[in-house]
Amino acid sequence: MTSTAQELHPAPTLEPGRTILELKGLEKRYPGTHALKPINLAFKASEIHAIVGENGAGKSTLIKLLTGVMPRTSGDVIWEGKPAALATPHEAMALGINAVHQEVVLCRHLTVAANMFLGEEASRFGILQQRAMVREAQKIIDDLGFDLPAHVVLGDLTIGQQQLIAAARATVRGTKFLIFDEPTAYLTRKEADQLFTLIRRLKGEGVTIIYISHRMEEVFELADRVSVLRDGTLVGTRNIAETNDAELVKMMINRSIEQVYHKEHFTPGATLLEARNLSGKGFENVSMTVRAGEIVGLYGLIGAGRSEFVTTLYGRHRKSAGQILWEGKEVQVNSEHDAIRIGMALAPESRRDQGLCLNLPVGLNLNLPIYKRISSNLLISSAQEKTEADRQIANLRIKTPTRNALASSLSGGNQQKIVIGKWLAHGAKLFIFDEPTVGVDVGTKAEIYRLFGELLSKGAGIILISSYLPEVYELADTLHVFRRGKLVATHGFHTANHEEILTQALAEKQEKPGGQI
Amino acid sequence: MSTEAIPAERPKRNYNALFGLTLLALLVLLWIILSVATPSFASANNISNLLRQGSMIAILAVGQTFVIITGGIDLSVGAVVGFATVIVAMLINAGVPIFLAILITLLVGVAIGLFHGFGIVKMGLPPFIITLATLTSLRGIGLLMTNGNSISINNDAFQLFSRSSFLGVPNLFWMVILVGIPAYIFLHHSRWGRYLFSVGSNAEASRLSGVNVQRTIYMAYTLSGLCAAFVGVLLASRIGIGNPTQAEGWELQAIASSVIGGTSLFGAVGSVHGPLLGAFILATINNGANLLNVNAFWQRIITGVLIIVIVYFDGLRRRGK
Ligand SMILES: Nc1ncnc2c1ncn2[C@@H]1O[C@H](COP(=O)(O)OP(=O)(O)OP(=O)(O)O)[C@@H](O)[C@H]1O
Ligand SMILES: [Mg+2]
Repeated sequence: MTSTAQELHPAPTLEPGRTILELKGLEKRYPGTHALKPINLAFKASEIHAIVGENGAGKSTLIKLLTGVMPRTSGDVIWEGKPAALATPHEAMALGINAVHQEVVLCRHLTVAANMFLGEEASRFGILQQRAMVREAQKIIDDLGFDLPAHVVLGDLTIGQQQLIAAARATVRGTKFLIFDEPTAYLTRKEADQLFTLIRRLKGEGVTIIYISHRMEEVFELADRVSVLRDGTLVGTRNIAETNDAELVKMMINRSIEQVYHKEHFTPGATLLEARNLSGKGFENVSMTVRAGEIVGLYGLIGAGRSEFVTTLYGRHRKSAGQILWEGKEVQVNSEHDAIRIGMALAPESRRDQGLCLNLPVGLNLNLPIYKRISSNLLISSAQEKTEADRQIANLRIKTPTRNALASSLSGGNQQKIVIGKWLAHGAKLFIFDEPTVGVDVGTKAEIYRLFGELLSKGAGIILISSYLPEVYELADTLHVFRRGKLVATHGFHTANHEEILTQALAEKQEKPGGQI
Repeated sequence: MSTEAIPAERPKRNYNALFGLTLLALLVLLWIILSVATPSFASANNISNLLRQGSMIAILAVGQTFVIITGGIDLSVGAVVGFATVIVAMLINAGVPIFLAILITLLVGVAIGLFHGFGIVKMGLPPFIITLATLTSLRGIGLLMTNGNSISINNDAFQLFSRSSFLGVPNLFWMVILVGIPAYIFLHHSRWGRYLFSVGSNAEASRLSGVNVQRTIYMAYTLSGLCAAFVGVLLASRIGIGNPTQAEGWELQAIASSVIGGTSLFGAVGSVHGPLLGAFILATINNGANLLNVNAFWQRIITGVLIIVIVYFDGLRRRGK
């Protein structure tokens, strides 16, 4: 790109309804895993084509092949009638194929603007035109209706906001074919709406969209057609008008699920944890209690201070005021170590940054919190190490060749299961789950919720943070709504409706990202 | 969803062992070639010599590997060796019993390691910087203490140790085994070993999982300092003097051995047997080159090329599989 000024979206060359991209026997093998068995599928120009399937079904793999991130094992990809090699990302982009990947793959230390123009910076005589790029980037962002600043460092934004930037970035490059891999996993409802508006608008401009998601309602809201993958095979493609939720789930997992949200009500026991007027970085004056046998849900926008609140409870950050009481007695939680000793467990929000040791084996990741228990003196009992790991792998149906496979080789949802799974054998009394089902498929979600019930029945308490309202709504016995660092409302099980809760979480004024709440 | 295990070809599983075997094969191959090429190579005398040469770097490499696995680096080990020769020489010459002199020297190594841990954990200094600072200042302190002179150790029993053999194997090599076995158990079969890996892979995830990250870092540098001080004692015994400028550049040889042995400078990948083999491969090349009358300048070049080749192939296999 020679100047930063560029047409947003070029006119597509094909009229709607014609085939723009066709897969013929596309196949991918990883060592130990046959991720995609030969697949035949045609995408029509300017359709929104949803792809669904359980964790590890091969969705992201398909996307990686189409965007030249990974080489295919065999098969052909026909782009506008001609075979395309798609050997490098560059080649895919030159054709007009872009993707917003499941994990944000941008440079966190660079500014939003620098990220948007990464690889095609505007320069004059070799000098970067920084100011011009920021201005240009801001124009594009504003035009898309995202309320985000272009000059801040990307890492200062929430994951959801980063995802929006990734989407914005993908639209500026003469895109004809745009793939979204679980884009809403980290988005708030409002951000998701902005994204949907963008997607519909792109479709109107003739762009073909692939949309991958585990959330059925989004698929029905957006898509024209939907394809289902199971174990690397294409099970079928349906017009959205001719199918329904139940059929898709059945196709995905080859069995039906009566009820995803499995909710058992227990009579709450003694108070485990109490926060009294707790303040810290990102939240202020929050009071709440968690009792044995109950799920306390925290709902709010991403950045509303929920994660900061729980990480402070957990000793990761210092509190600035207030008290933490454990079983009625005031405690000082100065480190994660203290928290764990008392009986807390935290499954954090970001699996890549906080949840996983990606380049270590699945088994080690699962056992990390319990090595003390499975070793006598300092020596680890390797038999126990194996049994414990295998038990969680089976429990959560983590799809991995062996417990020795590296965590990085698992699909996104299966990685998430490790983040949850590592605490299940720990025997904590209070479990804090921060966005536990991000990117997890329906079947496993149901399984995780059932495990919640099991933990409760053993007398544990749970704090559940979710930006996905149905999840907290259906599961939480007590539901607290956070807005800009404050606890603004509290509800019992189903004592308020969705609208009420949403309004409370959103409030009148929008938050400015990148700065303080 | 299908949970039946995917027919796995056991990826990565025996990777460590396999890589170790490849290195061992390389070492044996070098020995065979050198025995054929030069008759003096296979002599008992030369082999003992080679084992002695390799032993000290091997022990340094083990300590270094602990540090590198956590994602750090310890540039001070060469300087610690030199410094330790001075300490032990002074103590022995002052009439301190040998056993006590050695113990004190080892404690000095521990203290230096703790200091590194402190700099990294409490002061937030990058490992490269704090250990670089120790490297130069330790040499300086040693020179101050000795006025720039060597201290000859007047205790024959102390020197005899490194020159003698047990069961036909040089004592120095026994020391490698003495360090290697506990190190192996520690790294691969203890909780702390797992923590070294997890901290090197993702410190934040580790601390949220209850791993004491600070203590793990202290431990890695302390062990490295301890190994270095131990090597200092061995070196003093071998050459019979204490001199702070000894062991110049040994930190680089230790890092090279570790890396040849499959340790990743990005952290979270490494073993104990790899660096040991790496150290003896380097020693063999130096020894062989000497016997073949290869110019000493060339030896350095060969070592450099070897590092690139081995690490490149290791990386290829890791990625390729
Ligand atoms: N780099 C890799 N090396 C080895 N195996 C891999 C690699 N990447 C993915 N796999 C395997 O390929 C299979 C398909 O993974 P993929 O990421 O495509 O799943 P997905 O459908 O996107 O799942 P999710 O919904 O969890 O994101 C999984 O079994 C996964 O373990
Ligand atoms: Mg995926």
